[in-house]
Amino acid sequence: MKKKIGAIVLACMMSCLSFVSLVGCGGGNKKVKDFVMPDGGFDTTKKVEITFYHTMGADLRKVLTDYIAEFNELYPNIKVTEDAIGKYEDVRDQIVTEINAGKQPDLAYCYPDHVALFNQSNSVLSLNGFLPDGEYKDVTVTNAKGETEPIGFTQEQKDAFIQGYYNEGFQFGDGKNMYTLPFSKSTEVLYYNKTFFETNNLKVPTTWDEMEEVCAKIKELVPSCTPLGYDSEANWFITMCEQSGSAYTSSNGKLFRFDNKTNREFVTRFKGWYDKGYFTTQNINKTYTSNLFKAQTSYMCIGSSAGAKNQIPARVDGEYPFEVGITSVPQVNPENPKVISQGPSICIFKQNDPQRVLASWLLAKFLTTNIGFQAQFSSVSGYVPVLTTVTENKTYSDNLNAANGYEKTPFLAAKVCMEQASAYYTSPAFVGSSKARDEVGNLMQAVFTNSKTVDAAFKDAIEECEYFVG
Amino acid sequence: MSKTSKKNQWKAWLYLLPALVILAVFTVWPIFNTVRMSLLKNYDGLRAIGGETFEFGFANFVSVAQYRGFINCLGNTMLLCVITVPISTMLALLIAVALNSIKFIRKAMQTIFFLPYVTNSIAIGMVFMAMFTMIGGSATEAPESYGIINNIIQTFGGKPINWVNAGSSKFANMVVLIIYIVWNALPFKILVLLGGLQSVNKQYYDAAKIDGTSRFRTFWRITVPLLSPMIAYVVITGFIGGFKEYSSIVGIFGDTMGPSGDARRLDTMVGFIYRFIGNNQGRASAAALILFAIIFAVTMINMYVSKKKVHY
Amino acid sequence: MTDNMTENLIEKDVTSEQAVEQQNDIATEDKVMKKKDIDAVSKKQTVGKVFVQIGLYVFLGIMALVVLFPFYWMLISSLKTLDEYNANVPTLWPHQFKWSNYTVAFDTDGLNLGRLFLNTCIVGIVSTILSLIVTVLSAYAFARLEFKGKNVLFAALLATMMIPGELFTITNYITVSDLGWTNTYTVLIVPFLVSVFYIYLLRQNFLQIPNELYLAAKVDGSSDLKYLWKVMIPLSAPTLISITILKMMGSWNSYIWPRLVARDTAHTLITVGLRGASFVDQATNMTDFPAQMAAVVIVTIPLLLVFLFFRKYIMRGVSRSGLKG
Repeated sequence: MKKKIGAIVLACMMSCLSFVSLVGCGGGNKKVKDFVMPDGGFDTTKKVEITFYHTMGADLRKVLTDYIAEFNELYPNIKVTEDAIGKYEDVRDQIVTEINAGKQPDLAYCYPDHVALFNQSNSVLSLNGFLPDGEYKDVTVTNAKGETEPIGFTQEQKDAFIQGYYNEGFQFGDGKNMYTLPFSKSTEVLYYNKTFFETNNLKVPTTWDEMEEVCAKIKELVPSCTPLGYDSEANWFITMCEQSGSAYTSSNGKLFRFDNKTNREFVTRFKGWYDKGYFTTQNINKTYTSNLFKAQTSYMCIGSSAGAKNQIPARVDGEYPFEVGITSVPQVNPENPKVISQGPSICIFKQNDPQRVLASWLLAKFLTTNIGFQAQFSSVSGYVPVLTTVTENKTYSDNLNAANGYEKTPFLAAKVCMEQASAYYTSPAFVGSSKARDEVGNLMQAVFTNSKTVDAAFKDAIEECEYFVG
Repeated sequence: MSKTSKKNQWKAWLYLLPALVILAVFTVWPIFNTVRMSLLKNYDGLRAIGGETFEFGFANFVSVAQYRGFINCLGNTMLLCVITVPISTMLALLIAVALNSIKFIRKAMQTIFFLPYVTNSIAIGMVFMAMFTMIGGSATEAPESYGIINNIIQTFGGKPINWVNAGSSKFANMVVLIIYIVWNALPFKILVLLGGLQSVNKQYYDAAKIDGTSRFRTFWRITVPLLSPMIAYVVITGFIGGFKEYSSIVGIFGDTMGPSGDARRLDTMVGFIYRFIGNNQGRASAAALILFAIIFAVTMINMYVSKKKVHY
Repeated sequence: MTDNMTENLIEKDVTSEQAVEQQNDIATEDKVMKKKDIDAVSKKQTVGKVFVQIGLYVFLGIMALVVLFPFYWMLISSLKTLDEYNANVPTLWPHQFKWSNYTVAFDTDGLNLGRLFLNTCIVGIVSTILSLIVTVLSAYAFARLEFKGKNVLFAALLATMMIPGELFTITNYITVSDLGWTNTYTVLIVPFLVSVFYIYLLRQNFLQIPNELYLAAKVDGSSDLKYLWKVMIPLSAPTLISITILKMMGSWNSYIWPRLVARDTAHTLITVGLRGASFVDQATNMTDFPAQMAAVVIVTIPLLLVFLFFRKYIMRGVSRSGLKG
């Protein structure tokens, strides 16, 4: 009888093993076909369904569906299903799982490092062919209104983009392929309490040296305050690398180079500021720095331009307690300014049906080049439009002209963003780029709070990053 | 072998069939897939689709064991388990017994202890943030809010303790975590134990009452033995769950799994698995199997002990 | 006839308990004592009893506060403004009640609340019933029937609980999409039908029911299924209720799997529909927790009411059949 059980167990194990080896071999069959432009380009007569995954809440969804309806007037044969998945991380997880089963969506609204993650499977479409001098420059498409236009970007459409944002699409791997289109963007800006600065005759800092002086002065004026609140230590670190011209990571992500003399110096310098009570951060302080700013326990705040609406103080008896001022973040070298570019982009996935890919491209092109959509989306979201031409939109330009440091603070932020358009940089996106971000953020926190020495903090961060990709 | 037990043989398998079929497809098969992934060096589904091939061997297990924080992960996991399971089981047992030995408003009370099931886990995390976290302040300034717990301590003349903020001690972090985990585990354990108690026949108690047996003695000599199968159940499943502790730590400390300035101080095995699930499933699978081996060993010990103590 | 049998069995139950009691060193000779005798306990004991009772109420009261606090927090959070929720000093009572959180939770574009409720009810009820059947059958096999490899199989089943299941998601997703199950009720119900946790829990309970009852039923010539239905299930009603509650709550609150596999409107569940992206601020990626909490409250209230009713009903049913728990 014992023998019998043994035999059964053995049989089970054998069958399972064969199953395992079967799957082991079959792992590659979910491979996606590369896109090849079909003869005759996009077929406007055949019905095609595409899915767009995004993170938009109810208000933005409204804007999106309005413009999808407009898009459908041009291409009635394309049925777009827009699907609000949740947060950016939820979109990422959903898509990763679906790629594993060969069922990825057509378009996704996501961060660049997620695109790098997806593209390990080689399933993200390279957009190079659709650029003005690209492979498909002679392919045209005729929409339902009878207008014929090139399927790809025209030179004019390309030039309408804020170049810093446009170039972000190339930040992957060797930098030769464009994988994303900018959709809506944000950056870091310096919010300051304009009323306080004017009353005390303080100079708004444009360099880090000036920032140190201003903090010292404010600390003298109001000893109990924390002059500056900084939202993200990681952004601070990466921006400092960029501004000082010191190394951060290699572009393919295999090398983490951020442990160098320059970087150690600025971390040590900021540690000195922290000890004097010049600044605090969101993670250390356990509250949004905008809360401190609004409560006037801090007078400056460096945070996302998209969060401008959160910086407006509540009215007391109908009056704003102070006016918000917005300017670019301080620089190491004001001659060569660098500010971070953030925010979601849009990527297109390869599908076995090339018509789906083309339909997705047409939608992506429509949304990123449509001035009305960009203006409205930016007004609702707080993001900055990606087109310089958005000022042609009357409502938006009126709002920009009426920007002030009170209820129209978001437009003030947008204005600052558009003025510094030439200063945008992006750090390379690769699998592990978000890990590097997290680690340099942790490193700064560890040094500031005395948890680790500068040496130990840098060593730990490098080791963690290398283990992650190794 | 007698005829009836022969008949029982196939009957038993028939009874088990639906469960076994579903488990085979949705549990056993993924387990085999986990084993497969763990044996392919740095395996990842996306890269596999991208055409990459992976070296076969035990490299993933080696790399997990060589991780600089491996001992920390393991230590935290074990510590949390060993402390929280006995505490939560004892408390749940006391509450269940107390609920069963009152008469006035008993139904209302039982309903109250039922409410935690419909409490969303996000809400529980939020409460803890509010209770233990100090907010505001800087290197030179005192915090704006010390948190409810510290306010209570101050009312009684004590000094506020840094529970979870930057610069807090690991001991303080652990105390908060233990309270949180016990709190989280209580409702389920009370439900199970109360269910068990209600199945127990009252006559045992009547007999004890007549004897004038003391409450304490009744508890130890009647309640605990009669309830021992359910106690064994909550202890064993408690250990299994405890070894998988992750979300409670993220709930309090965020994704960094430590107070700011000391990320991963409270890292656990499942924390490790989550970090690699998205880009290195091979390594995550290896860690999962190592964790499995540990849980398996502990459960076997638990089963061995309970076999001796449980009274059916 | 069947009633007769049950009564018969219950009598047997008492006899078997005698055996247990003897094992427990509890005096059994006075088992038939009348209530009068119980009343005759000394006054001193009564005073002690009162103190013990007070102690019990104090203990339960404190624990109730502790356990209920998050529930309370959930309710008040659902009524706070986002600013108040994010305030540095948390408030125990909302300064101003923002009932509009509830309208925000309801008022999401394209959200068909009725459909969501219907889907969730179908999935919740069907999966609970099926799960109970599967659990009862398996637990019965493990507790009562003898078969080769029983212990090995049971240990193997327990072992499956020990592997962190996070890794299963991708494999299971591939399985269901290969089976063509995506966007069906099947995919929401079947994969999580079997819980080893519940089988184990019920087996523990079944094992407590004296074997003599089973043998007696055999002598009576009743089948296994009949015995299971007439004796085992009523006797373990409290545990079955616990399982029902857990399973119902589980399917009602399940989020990650349904979101992954059933995204069309015909099969979207309420948590997926309500939680979606509606509460996340696009630009800052911050969650509007008060509105989200309001959504959670909307989802849980009906469930809570159903259970309170359901629980009472079942408990009454149990006591009426004479099988006092």
